[in-house]
Amino acid sequence: MNKTMLKIAGFGVAVIGFYIYVTMYVAGLSGGGAGGGATGISPEAGESIFWGDGQCSTCHKIGTSGSATRGPDQEGLADRAEGRAKELGLASGLEYLVESIVTPSKYVVEGYDDIMPKVYDPPIVLSREKILAVIAYLQTLGGEANIDAIMKYKDQIPEASKKKVKEWVPPIEIDPEAGKEVFFNEDLDVTCGKCHVVNGQGNKVGPELTGIGAVQTPEYFVESILKPSAVIVKGYETVYVITTDGLPYNGLIKSDSDEELVLLQEESGDIEEIVIPKEEIEVMKKQEVSIMPGNIGELLSVQDFYAVISFLRSLK
Amino acid sequence: MNNFKVLRQFMKRNSIFVVLLFLAFVFTPPSRGTFFALPALQAEEEAGVELPQFEEGQAPEGEMVAAEGDEGVAEGEVPPEEEEEELEPVQYRTFFGLNPRDIVWIVSELHLMFAAFVLGVPMFAVLVEVIGFKGGDIKYDNMAREFTKLLSAAFATTASLGGLLAFCLFGLYPEFMGHMTNVFSSTMYIYALMFFAEAFCLYGYYYSWDVLKGTALKKWSHITLGVMLNLFGTALMFLTNSWATYMMGPAGVSMKTGRLLSLHDAFMNPLWMPVNIHRLIANVCFGGFVVGAYSAVKFLNARTEEEKAHYDWMGYVGNFIGIGGLIPLPFAGYWLGREIYSVSPVMGNIMMGGAFSWTFIIQAVLIGMLFIGANYYLWLGMGRIKGSERYTKYIKYLTMIIFFGFAVWLTPHNLPLSGEERAMIGEQYHPFSKYFGVMAAKNAVVNLIILATFFSFLIYRRSNLGQTVPFAEQGKFGKIGIFSGVIFCLFMLVSYAVSLNFVKLDANVVGYVKPLIKVLYLQSFMICLAGYLTFKNKGKMAQILLFISAASIAVVYFWFYGFLVMQKANLVLRYLSVTQVAIVMSCLIMNATIDVVIFRKAKVVGGIVWGKMPVRSQYALLMLCVVIVILMGLMGFIRSGLRMDWHVYGLMQDTSQWAFTPTLAYMGRVVGLIVALFLGLVAFVFWLAGLGDKKKKAAEA
Repeated sequence: MNKTMLKIAGFGVAVIGFYIYVTMYVAGLSGGGAGGGATGISPEAGESIFWGDGQCSTCHKIGTSGSATRGPDQEGLADRAEGRAKELGLASGLEYLVESIVTPSKYVVEGYDDIMPKVYDPPIVLSREKILAVIAYLQTLGGEANIDAIMKYKDQIPEASKKKVKEWVPPIEIDPEAGKEVFFNEDLDVTCGKCHVVNGQGNKVGPELTGIGAVQTPEYFVESILKPSAVIVKGYETVYVITTDGLPYNGLIKSDSDEELVLLQEESGDIEEIVIPKEEIEVMKKQEVSIMPGNIGELLSVQDFYAVISFLRSLK
Repeated sequence: MNNFKVLRQFMKRNSIFVVLLFLAFVFTPPSRGTFFALPALQAEEEAGVELPQFEEGQAPEGEMVAAEGDEGVAEGEVPPEEEEEELEPVQYRTFFGLNPRDIVWIVSELHLMFAAFVLGVPMFAVLVEVIGFKGGDIKYDNMAREFTKLLSAAFATTASLGGLLAFCLFGLYPEFMGHMTNVFSSTMYIYALMFFAEAFCLYGYYYSWDVLKGTALKKWSHITLGVMLNLFGTALMFLTNSWATYMMGPAGVSMKTGRLLSLHDAFMNPLWMPVNIHRLIANVCFGGFVVGAYSAVKFLNARTEEEKAHYDWMGYVGNFIGIGGLIPLPFAGYWLGREIYSVSPVMGNIMMGGAFSWTFIIQAVLIGMLFIGANYYLWLGMGRIKGSERYTKYIKYLTMIIFFGFAVWLTPHNLPLSGEERAMIGEQYHPFSKYFGVMAAKNAVVNLIILATFFSFLIYRRSNLGQTVPFAEQGKFGKIGIFSGVIFCLFMLVSYAVSLNFVKLDANVVGYVKPLIKVLYLQSFMICLAGYLTFKNKGKMAQILLFISAASIAVVYFWFYGFLVMQKANLVLRYLSVTQVAIVMSCLIMNATIDVVIFRKAKVVGGIVWGKMPVRSQYALLMLCVVIVILMGLMGFIRSGLRMDWHVYGLMQDTSQWAFTPTLAYMGRVVGLIVALFLGLVAFVFWLAGLGDKKKKAAEA
């Protein structure tokens, strides 16, 4: 290497060295950052979480500590929380603090935007213990920490899951085409196609399932088949009717006019249409039970069950 | 000839091969799977347990040999412990015992830097070729060819690093890459095919230079190859950007299960386009400064005046392209930052107000160095232009403006103070400097620096030119040029002003948007006025007016108004910043258009003496290159680090022991190492590219 090239290399190294020096200098200025130190449910641990893992300080300052202005200044918070609790009819300032963290949109302070994330959800994913510690710390801001009182709210705080989310894998992989056959097979004890339409095929008693695979998860399909009443799609709720003769009916409203009510009722796996004149209706109540049979798990073989799931997943 | 002689001759001729063979022998793992095996498997291997070597449900051939003390297993039967053994899916591996995160960081950054060069350089190589072809000046053609020579040498390194990166990712992060493959597998095939297309176009473009010359048709065919090269290169970048931005702002997948719902949404996620635009501009800027440094090295080593002149001119072009990219870069960066904030306020807060806020102070130091270095080079360059004396008086004012802007940009909002220091000044913030630490002030000075740099460039451009030519003598070119400039600027300003009328904000803050609409219309009027004055042969006055209006609105007024908005209507700040950018951009575009028109056909005063540049000017070019490479490394760290401990933000967590955000000092050392490695590799690749020339010259001599 000639002299000029040595000079050039030296110059390059000097510029890189200057950059490294600046990063080290700034690291010294800004400090190592908060976060470590105390653990467990204590104000000390809560303080380090407030300025560290919890990222609370990116929106809230405490008096002269911190500089964020997106959320309210937390100085004297415990004292203010008591006042807010009284205004809102809550039992205590502590309840106000807990609810403000669990459901941040519930009590948005006037003049601030509804931007606070749920800290137990991604991306912050604070554990229940850490949230309790932060609450203990917040209690010291204008008040005193009461760990025993805080622990009573333990179960109200959702536990964050730090586990990675894995894709659902069916225990048995079955060709969606086989699932399609099961779906529309009228020889079985239960036929999905009697109540659901897929790509124009079937009957529209329940919600249409065309394209459902693109918007719903496999877990949703499993739950909807095994526990159909757990989530009922809007517009497909059932009603409970008692006629003046004392006869009970439970079904889905097909049509409702001044003269008559037409109900779709499931009877031994078949859907029957029942017309009830309006003057014969004694009682009519909305139900939280789906018209879909609740025993499909027993009516389908394991093979057929996963075949249907596979078919539903393929509907994109 | 005896065997020993043959061997000696072989070693002499194939020394590199022999060295590689020796290295391969030395570093060959003693047994398969030692380096990449899971610790559990390693332990099993050490304990002498033989891993199943057959497919599931298939019995191993031959007789099973029972371990000492074990009961024998009948032929064809699977031993029970092996049946129960189920390999856990691998999540993470190490790289020869080294931290895999750092390995991926270093390799991906090196690959990215080479890729940026390979993507940025063809853009201006083709442009320079077109200029040479249209103007009939062969030196432009030669320069474009020299650019491409660098490119072809760097391309193979880029591809090799890309391969290494892919292997590292799949090997070290198998579970994460499994997810990425589930989502993006189809685009990965397209990527590979595009890569072929780019390679064919690049080598076709380079090797057909002599073949495709002579006629206009041939030359245009060659240029078309260059354009195709750019198109494929850009498409490649857009594809990979999608994977990277998906990791920051996942879309099109179920956030509960990670299952792909829409590839379209995952691909065109919210951060995709902002990163595309930002990288596109940055690559041009990066390529320009790297070429500038290459020319500087050549200039400093030049032995003849002719060589010096050539490389001085090449360095000037490199710096010009670098500045050209640098000016709009902060605007594109701002857009990206704003979109990151929209995708996740948490990530936005970490970026500007949290863990990464100090990295932006370092970024400010580097960008300040870039602007000062680029201006310094321009000012030194005026020394080789006769007639530039008329303008040198402005340089001291420009220096003051740039340093003042730099100082404000560097000022942090809150200083890390001890309790005592805080008590001394009475509050958390310094009573005076706090006003310079907020976004309103920083946005104002960035625009001021950009305007000052643009002014520097204008006076440099004029140094060699005499009086302006009357507008009437410019013919159609002048009229079309000015009309196009006015219409483009009006479209930009008025369309944004109209869109601001439909901004949905609370009633108590929406009123703060109205002044923005007013100034946009005011600037639109100034653009029209500037166009009119140019038609009336008062182009210089029009330029001054535009500078005054842009500086008054975007710097002075918005500095003050930005404070007000921050205090009373923080959400309006995002619209204010875009308005600021639109006004400065309109000033730059219209000013440049007027300058080109009024000085077209102007007499050259004294000419440029290429090669008459002090040595320190070349070091300025070298500094620009090193700084832009560092800046790229730093910004890469910020962009990727914002995800904190997530592979895919909010969806797939990094549960490895390396899932932490490195400290600034650690980051500084790793980025420093990456920069040194990159520059070393570039120097080596360029040296290799020049070997052929040396041989040719020697043969000619």
